Amino acid sequence: MSATQTMSTVPTSSLARTFLPWLLAALLVAVMPQIFGSGFAISLLCRMAIAAVFALSFNMLMGQGGMMDFGHAVYLGLGGFLAMHAMRAANAGWWIPTPALPLVGAFGGVVMAAVGGLVVARSTRTAFAMITMGLAEAIVALVLMLPRLFGGEEGINADRSGGPAVFGWDFGSPIEAYYVVSSWALLAALLMFLFTRTPLGRLSNAVRDNAERVGFLGYDPARVRYLIYIFSGLFAGLAGGLQAINDEIITAANIGSNAAGAVLLMTFIGGTGTFIGPVIGAVLVTLMQMALGTVTDAWQIYNGLIFVIMVLWAPGGISGIILAHAPLVRNGRGRLLLPSYLRTLPGFVLAIAGTVGLCEMAYRLQSIRGGGPRGGNILFLPADPETVAPWVVAAVMTTVGIWLLAVTAPPARGAWMHASGGTQA
Amino acid sequence: MIRPAALQLNGVYKSFGLVDVLRNVEITVAAGERHAIIGPNGAGKSTLFHLITGRFPLSAGRIYLHGDDITGRSSYDIYRLGIARSFQVTSLFNRLSVFENLRVGAMRVLGAGHAWWRLLDRYRPLRERAEEMLEMLGLEERRNVPAGLLAYADQRALEIGLAIVGGANTILLDEPTAGMSRHETERAVALIRKVTEGRTLLVVEHDMGVVFDLADRISVLANGNVIASGPPSDVRGDPAVRTAYLGAVAETLT
Amino acid sequence: MMDQLLLILLNGLVYGLLLFMLSSGLTLIVGMMGVLNFAHASFYMLGAYIAYTLSTTMNFWVALVVAPLIVGVLGAIVEQYGLRAVHKHGHLAELLFTFGLAMIIGEVVQLIWGRMPVPYRVPPSLDFPLFSIGGTAYPAYRMFMVGVSLFMFVVLYAALARTRLGLVVRAALTHPDMVSMLGHNVPRVFTLVFGGGCALAGLAGVIAGNAYQTDPGMALALGAIVFAVVVMGGLGSISGALFASIIIGLVQTVSIGLDMKLHAALGKIGLHVDPAGLFSDVWDISINRAAPVVPFLLLVIILAVNPKGLAGSRSS
Repeated sequence: MSATQTMSTVPTSSLARTFLPWLLAALLVAVMPQIFGSGFAISLLCRMAIAAVFALSFNMLMGQGGMMDFGHAVYLGLGGFLAMHAMRAANAGWWIPTPALPLVGAFGGVVMAAVGGLVVARSTRTAFAMITMGLAEAIVALVLMLPRLFGGEEGINADRSGGPAVFGWDFGSPIEAYYVVSSWALLAALLMFLFTRTPLGRLSNAVRDNAERVGFLGYDPARVRYLIYIFSGLFAGLAGGLQAINDEIITAANIGSNAAGAVLLMTFIGGTGTFIGPVIGAVLVTLMQMALGTVTDAWQIYNGLIFVIMVLWAPGGISGIILAHAPLVRNGRGRLLLPSYLRTLPGFVLAIAGTVGLCEMAYRLQSIRGGGPRGGNILFLPADPETVAPWVVAAVMTTVGIWLLAVTAPPARGAWMHASGGTQA
Repeated sequence: MIRPAALQLNGVYKSFGLVDVLRNVEITVAAGERHAIIGPNGAGKSTLFHLITGRFPLSAGRIYLHGDDITGRSSYDIYRLGIARSFQVTSLFNRLSVFENLRVGAMRVLGAGHAWWRLLDRYRPLRERAEEMLEMLGLEERRNVPAGLLAYADQRALEIGLAIVGGANTILLDEPTAGMSRHETERAVALIRKVTEGRTLLVVEHDMGVVFDLADRISVLANGNVIASGPPSDVRGDPAVRTAYLGAVAETLT
Repeated sequence: MMDQLLLILLNGLVYGLLLFMLSSGLTLIVGMMGVLNFAHASFYMLGAYIAYTLSTTMNFWVALVVAPLIVGVLGAIVEQYGLRAVHKHGHLAELLFTFGLAMIIGEVVQLIWGRMPVPYRVPPSLDFPLFSIGGTAYPAYRMFMVGVSLFMFVVLYAALARTRLGLVVRAALTHPDMVSMLGHNVPRVFTLVFGGGCALAGLAGVIAGNAYQTDPGMALALGAIVFAVVVMGGLGSISGALFASIIIGLVQTVSIGLDMKLHAALGKIGLHVDPAGLFSDVWDISINRAAPVVPFLLLVIILAVNPKGLAGSRSS
């Protein structure tokens, strides 16, 4: 099941239909803090917004342009650092209102990407991925070596409420920061969306699909890649500026491979084939990391497992799955799928429960070995990982679950193909 | 003053390492002419196209477009100068719809280029050109289908369409009817004739029916050399051509 | 002074050859299958850890032979049941698969062996000074490492250049479809190359894990450099990988040995900068601390000159 994106011409009457979701999104953004008012929730929403912008900028390269940039976090970080310096300047009396900081970040991102792009834009897909990785490593090392500019291990921090007030707001409170961050995020997303509908945006799709042919249609593919790279750097830098506002600190960790890996995860899980995929991924992964991180130590391996499983069986990501099923739901053939899909549930539940059990116990063992506390529950069940019994149970659950899946999945896939067969154009 | 030929190849050599693929190729294509290139497999026909369109550099020789030396120019420069090509192995933008494929093909020429400050849909001439092309190719009903999902004959039609939509004056078609049925071939030939009206056409083909139907002049390429060149009637009777195609056996039979 | 230099050169050679063992497998895998194997350094790490366990329960020589085999078999299994399934979804998906795999291997290693470095030691039979340079004793084990690496190079080169299998592999490097149409079982060749590449990485882990350090961070530390080497040497080229590995090995070792600030070094070659000026941070960098950056700077320079690397074959 792969995601295909069909683009149609846009008659003016459906312009409204295109922009309705954006209006709804704006409404949602405005109203969210009223529904989820706690400090934790607001901070989470900000994080999601920043991650969404970053993931969208990453997908400009990956999903739209076919370029795998492993160093993308560099532009977020460098934009963020520039914004932090501007924030410091504002604290020192310069007139730089906090809402203008994302622009500073964008500027930092653009300039750095213009330089970085010169190095990488000529490379083909495989080499591109490797070079961007190398470039990112080099820049992380450089950042740590220049403490005056980048604050060494502690990074650069400043006070977002220490700048000039705008309309009586000083942006110190979380909710004021939320409105700045989310408005900018919405604007950035809208701009990136419009970009996909410009000639350059379409050209990047063409380069993704067939760079050679593009060369025979009058364009230099390397030049197209370079331009796209600069734009995606702009938006990544903007995300960095947003992060500067939200966290009031940027460190070398924000540039490194962890951040780069995180955005890759988000974009991929959400789905690279649609515009909204990265947003879905950003929201889900941020939620997962916040939620899982407090409950278990095993989230790193869950990350990896989810990643691998999605690559194997749902490479179009969540939005790909939605796209594969939306037409069926719309024309009513969706109910044909229910029986076979439902039959896969027991296998799913068992396999997941068993795997989670195994992982949790493994991590508990590791923490015990490291001197941590014994006893207590694994998640919510009393189980002692130092005895054999729970391991056997979990292993059996996993094996049976996988076996059930192996048996019930092919008919489910067959049902989907049968149901979609009637909807082909 | 004699008007220079649309396309002129002088003394073109191409070797890959120790292998000579093209040797001393001389071809003249007059403006507005329909010129076919035929020859047994491995004769170097596709390589010739690669050289003309700037994909590979020449080992020796010169290529002129309307009198201007285009030897060694990049492929995108050559396109901008007015030479467009189609490919023997279908080379489309698989994830884009038919309509979008055509739009991309025409963007450069109609002033859209690398523009990022204006929405694509605002370029009306672009939309109209793509619509026009859709109609000519007979693909209006499949305008929203991703190119990768089209039926083979439709893909080949789009392949030709991509070469034409930019309005190039010199069109190079590489085996446009390869793999087509009798009926599809007839449709393709009618299409080619229609869209290359008034333009210069250089076409590589294996289907002799198509060749004799379309071509004003034919050049025969065998073993990297042009062994015959002239109007179809001349080439048809040329014994060297028969030998090249059928081998020495043909000589004993006739 | 000469002794210092000789020491540095020797160490650089050792490190460079180690990089070669890692990058030779990777360059074949990337060059032939187009798969950016992110898990390559993870297999290196696995090799070291498995060798640790084997050498403490049995002995080092068993580990030397068995550990790479285990890693190779693991790699072959991953290719056959994982990569091959992902192959139809494109290069990007393959890359992401290996990325996720690297994450998982990293975690599993920590779960089995813990987060702290493990005491994987040089075997006593090889733990003696072989010769001395300027008063410093040079360990025999380092020479053993050089020996193993060179031996692997010779074997690899001969296998690729002289055997029929090697011919098939080399052909598949540039024209896998053609090779398949000629009747060779290309999927089997892929599995072999992937498994072989991983085995080589594992072997590198076996001999390096005890000379340097065996800890969960070793994959990350080397991962990026190996990619730089592969790109520099040209995808698919074994000799390019050798060349690039040794250059990087030497350059890196020399930089680490230079405990000098940048402005002093520049001064030595005649470029005078103001150490207290605007870029004081930059001039104040000691070269030995800048060492991690050097391979990538080199990579950038080489690529700026020739996007295909030093000896590239397949650029796609």
